Amino acid sequence: MNAIWTIFKKEWDRVIKDKRLVLSVMLLPGLMIFLIYSIMGNVISDFTAQEPGQVAIVNPSAGFTALYSTPVWGEDENGDPVIVFEEKADVIAISVAEAQTYRDRIDAGDWDLLIVFPENLEADLAPGYQANIEVYHNQNETQSATVQSRFSGYLTVYAELLRQTVYGETDVLMLQTDSVEYDDEKAMGMMMSTLLPMLVVMFLFSGAMSIGPESIAGEKERGTMATLLIMPVKRSEIALGKVLSLSVLALISALSSFLGIISSLPKMMGMEVSQVLAIYDFADLALMLVLLFSTVFVIVGLVAVVSAFSKSLKEAGTLIMPLYLITIVIGITSMFSEGAVSGWWFYLLPMYNTVQSLTAILLSDSLAPWYVLITVAANLAVTAGLVYLLTRMFHSEKIMFAK
Amino acid sequence: MEESNMEAKIVVTDLTKTFRLSKKQQRIERTTESVKVAVDHLSFEAYQGEIFGLLGPNGAGKTTTLRCISTLIKADSGDIYVDGHGVRNEETEIRKRIGFLTSDLKLEEFFTPNYLFDYFARLHSVDPETAAARKADLFGKFGIDRFAEVKVGELSTGMRQKVQIALALIHDPGVIVFDEPTNGLDILTAKVVTDYLRELRDAGKAIIISTHIFSLVEKICDRVGIIVNGKLKWCKPLADVKASGTDLEQLFFDLVAEESREDSR
Repeated sequence: MNAIWTIFKKEWDRVIKDKRLVLSVMLLPGLMIFLIYSIMGNVISDFTAQEPGQVAIVNPSAGFTALYSTPVWGEDENGDPVIVFEEKADVIAISVAEAQTYRDRIDAGDWDLLIVFPENLEADLAPGYQANIEVYHNQNETQSATVQSRFSGYLTVYAELLRQTVYGETDVLMLQTDSVEYDDEKAMGMMMSTLLPMLVVMFLFSGAMSIGPESIAGEKERGTMATLLIMPVKRSEIALGKVLSLSVLALISALSSFLGIISSLPKMMGMEVSQVLAIYDFADLALMLVLLFSTVFVIVGLVAVVSAFSKSLKEAGTLIMPLYLITIVIGITSMFSEGAVSGWWFYLLPMYNTVQSLTAILLSDSLAPWYVLITVAANLAVTAGLVYLLTRMFHSEKIMFAK
Repeated sequence: MEESNMEAKIVVTDLTKTFRLSKKQQRIERTTESVKVAVDHLSFEAYQGEIFGLLGPNGAGKTTTLRCISTLIKADSGDIYVDGHGVRNEETEIRKRIGFLTSDLKLEEFFTPNYLFDYFARLHSVDPETAAARKADLFGKFGIDRFAEVKVGELSTGMRQKVQIALALIHDPGVIVFDEPTNGLDILTAKVVTDYLRELRDAGKAIIISTHIFSLVEKICDRVGIIVNGKLKWCKPLADVKASGTDLEQLFFDLVAEESREDSR
């Protein structure tokens, strides 16, 4: 017991007392994710919130203008409150003669939309009157297409309005839309459950990957492992001490990544951290923590066994890569499933069980605690097996002293 | 025999150790055999209060023998007892009683001698007070005190060697196994080390060293075992070499020549 703690402490000190390792294992993952996601979030919001669009209209009529403008309270020249229409788009009125110029500009991609109304449309309005309205845009420009589809909507409504003015009541269909109120929490849970499990297993794995090979394959390569092996301590104590400390360190590394995600959510999704956290209560968070801890044991166990098998740090890195990729693929499965799988035996499969249990917690599945229970039990059993294997490897001179 | 009065601390009986050679290693060694016999039915004893030297050319099996004694690797056949404990099933007991020094065992360069001393003292279950006293003693003796807080990676080879010695003696072992004790050391450091080995012998420790340097054997060893090709060709007190009317160097070359004649037969 004493030896396990001694080895645990040394592995811990090795990382904690090394500024570069603290930076690369604990601070950088979170910081990088925060930066990357924030930049991604900014790009996405820039993309969706581009300028309202540039529209040129020949012979704009008052009735049409009112449709695409938003009424807001403003002030008239005496300072009294008055309703004014605020235009959502950058709309200008042009003459017929100028229309061709704007067609060319739209072709060139530096204007979005041209609408040509006939002269005195509203004044000439009478039963039987038909007018051609030209709408010109560039399908190859996203912005132009977006503006066009918005203004087609306005035109449809405008046509309806004109018909009503001429013929009176024309509505045959009275549309009544009704739906269940939008549940923010459910939507958020759904979104988190598709994305988070993959990210979490990825972070746990990369945390373990950044220190595990160094601590075992590295020590083997540098000959410091042999020094440890002639100490009067059990090989199983060495294995346990290393796996435990690496697990705690990997978990810290994963938590750093996790904090990075949480703090970049406001920019990424346009929502507040408190909104996200409010969905889950203490029990959910505790379940997640237990789940992550048991998972990190499995991952560190795997990384440790592969590292012990490797002759050098480099070889360990090469051999661990396929495992990492498999883990990511398993993580992705949560993106295509509707909720957590329900067969209990699925929760016996390491990594897959973590992803599914996490999905269950995030979706507030009532069976989540049971899934987590099975997962933790399975993970601990697998970890015990891996530690046993590691101990056997520490005993094998062929593996430990391979040249 | 005067030796029988002393207690045999290390008893090696019929020790054999083979290594499997990979195709690549076979090419390097220019052999078609897939198994290399590193140690071939070796038997000897080392007593309390003496320095026993294993002398042999490179690849003779010296280091392999010492590694087997210190439980780093396992023998194929034969037995080794250290202070009455067998390597077969009392590895931990042996590790508690032995101080093993070899260039294969490295120290983590990131840590300081001070940190490593405390770390290994805990692994050896030495209580903190005893450990502190021994640290003061050993660090003082080897002049490590000034470098106690310098990372091992930044120490000179000589100072690193001294730190290794200090760390190997943390638990005050009764048996000391020292592979090539003066390799890579300047003459001043080498003298500190050989003087200390004598001091340890006089304190009643059983010491085995391996070397290919004749002068070192002549200077500090009480008995010498000459290994050629994994076989012990000679094992007697150093005084017997002189008594036989030859010197160690001549004896050694005669034995090597004899072995190569037998080998080619």
